[in-house]
Amino acid sequence: MATIDIRSVSKAYGGHAPVLTDIDLSIRDGEFIVLVGPSGCGKSTLLRMIAGLEAISAGTIAIGGRVVNDLAPKARDIAMVFQSYALYPHMTVAENMTYSLRLKKTPRATVAEKLEAASRKLGLDAFLARKPKALSGGQRQRVAMGRAIVRAPKAFLFDEPLSNLDARLREQMRAEIRKLHAGLGATSIYVTHDQVEAMTLADRIVAMHGGIIQQVGSPLDLYDRPANLFVAGFIGSPGMNFLPGRWDAGARAVRLSDDSALPVERAIDLPDGSAVTVGVRPEHVGLGGDGGLAAAVDLVEPTGHGIILHLRLQDQPFKALTTDRRYLTPQESVRVTMPADRLHLFDGNGDRIA
Amino acid sequence: MTPAPRRPFLQRLGDRAEPWLYSAPALIVITAVMLVPLVVGISYAFRDVQILNPFSGGFVGLDHFRALAGDKAFRVALVNTFWWTVLTVLIQLLFGLILALLLDTPFRGRGIAQALVFLPWAVPTFLTGLNWAWLFNPTIGPLPHWLHALGLLAEPSNILSDPNLALWGPITAAVWWGIPFFAITLLAALQSIPSDLYEAAAIDGANPFQRFWSITLPFLAPVIAITVLLRTVWVANFTDLIIVMTGGGPADRTQTVASYIFTQAFKRLDFGYASAISLVLLFLLLAYALLILLLRQRLIDRDK
Repeated sequence: MATIDIRSVSKAYGGHAPVLTDIDLSIRDGEFIVLVGPSGCGKSTLLRMIAGLEAISAGTIAIGGRVVNDLAPKARDIAMVFQSYALYPHMTVAENMTYSLRLKKTPRATVAEKLEAASRKLGLDAFLARKPKALSGGQRQRVAMGRAIVRAPKAFLFDEPLSNLDARLREQMRAEIRKLHAGLGATSIYVTHDQVEAMTLADRIVAMHGGIIQQVGSPLDLYDRPANLFVAGFIGSPGMNFLPGRWDAGARAVRLSDDSALPVERAIDLPDGSAVTVGVRPEHVGLGGDGGLAAAVDLVEPTGHGIILHLRLQDQPFKALTTDRRYLTPQESVRVTMPADRLHLFDGNGDRIA
Repeated sequence: MTPAPRRPFLQRLGDRAEPWLYSAPALIVITAVMLVPLVVGISYAFRDVQILNPFSGGFVGLDHFRALAGDKAFRVALVNTFWWTVLTVLIQLLFGLILALLLDTPFRGRGIAQALVFLPWAVPTFLTGLNWAWLFNPTIGPLPHWLHALGLLAEPSNILSDPNLALWGPITAAVWWGIPFFAITLLAALQSIPSDLYEAAAIDGANPFQRFWSITLPFLAPVIAITVLLRTVWVANFTDLIIVMTGGGPADRTQTVASYIFTQAFKRLDFGYASAISLVLLFLLLAYALLILLLRQRLIDRDK
């Protein structure tokens, strides 16, 4: 177990645009950090740099206070779970899990002890003599985790470990990873493109886009106070609605394209007439009532526990989430209200205002 | 229920014959070009067939095989075949594997190197044999002088005429010619190994040699097994280089069973005796192939 300190780290492949720019991140001992972002945002590259599988172009990475830039992966005392699991196909489950220990010439009794403890924790006792190809996806996933656990490393690195599983199994493994972390208390860095995984697993989420950290914070921080348009749109499902508008300093409201006003309660210091983007989450949109704005209904999507309404509001796509089954019957238009305390405001650069 | 009325005989005959009629062309061709020559060839082994003796052709039973049992040249050829095949295949495998590993690591101009490596394979074996015979010839080739300079040869003589070393001549040529086959097949197998296995092993603490031992080799094993099987049969039957470079000499020291067959058939023109030897070689190789296939099946079963 250890802290991980990432200082001004960059990564560039000769002659190309940088993959990562000036990454700064301090990870506390025992923390569960999730790196999240769309594919190509550099999250996997960052993880592989921590693991020692990619060279660091600039900056330093320290594990447990020791700079590891020039250390080989095996000297960093970390364990990694790969998306493909990367199990050794010709070794049995037990051999897979103990490979690292055997390489270190650990006494046989210790190996057996650690193997037993890990396999019991993961429910793999019955499969120890099997080869990986005789296992299901979920079992292979467990073996990959077991291989990491037996080593008791300073840090666990997870590279999209659940993306090859089906939805139900993913949900189950998510809960198990969380429980496992609670039991082991080891520093963990988890890479995913799935914001639900990020929200449910993380102590802190690191949202990345274009090789730059967009926001670092607890899951609810990112949900309640997204730092910019990217985070606002990426976290939450269905995604946040955005409407362009102008700030009316006199009325203390946002004027939308049809000149209708959305009053804002917070103190906002913006020049009159500057361009802003209003964001509101589908689950916070009010439907029906007399006031509000008129929206045309494009599509009704029932999800079982709720209904997603695909609307057009002032020619912008707009989604609303409701549990009211009245909206299942097709209607031509609905009235939409947006509570003032649920509005997010972003300036012309896409950064959050107040 | 009344029994279905019997259909006319011709119609039933037609139904029976239909599939055979459809497959007849293929069956006739296979019989004509494969089975007939095979049977005729086998029948020679039991007949006295000498091209220059117009009175030959009679049935002689197992006479050829009895002669073979007492034929010292055949026993020498059998031993030579063993060393020729084992050494050629193993050295080809060793260098082919090294070459494949080199070609698997990225470097500038790898595409061209991969194409060039294939070149020896494209050279006709006859030319390969002539070329190496000349290279080993001290009057025109540099090899004896180099070997002498290295202290491997007492004097720059032709190893092809040295009874103790002659077999190494054709072996060298065969290795040079056969490396690309191993290199290319092993390279294809190497490239199918997922790279994250190596990364996982690196994180687990394996050094390059341990990674080779516990990931590369197990992945290559089935490919190595099947290529070695194919190459062994191939090399055991491969006479071009021996015929061109040494003609089986000096004093039968490079005579393999296959080249002995060639010598018996086309130099002594005794086709009957040559067929008998061929039959023995065929059974030896069949037994070998069966052994390897059983071994392979066991390996696959163990993997389950």
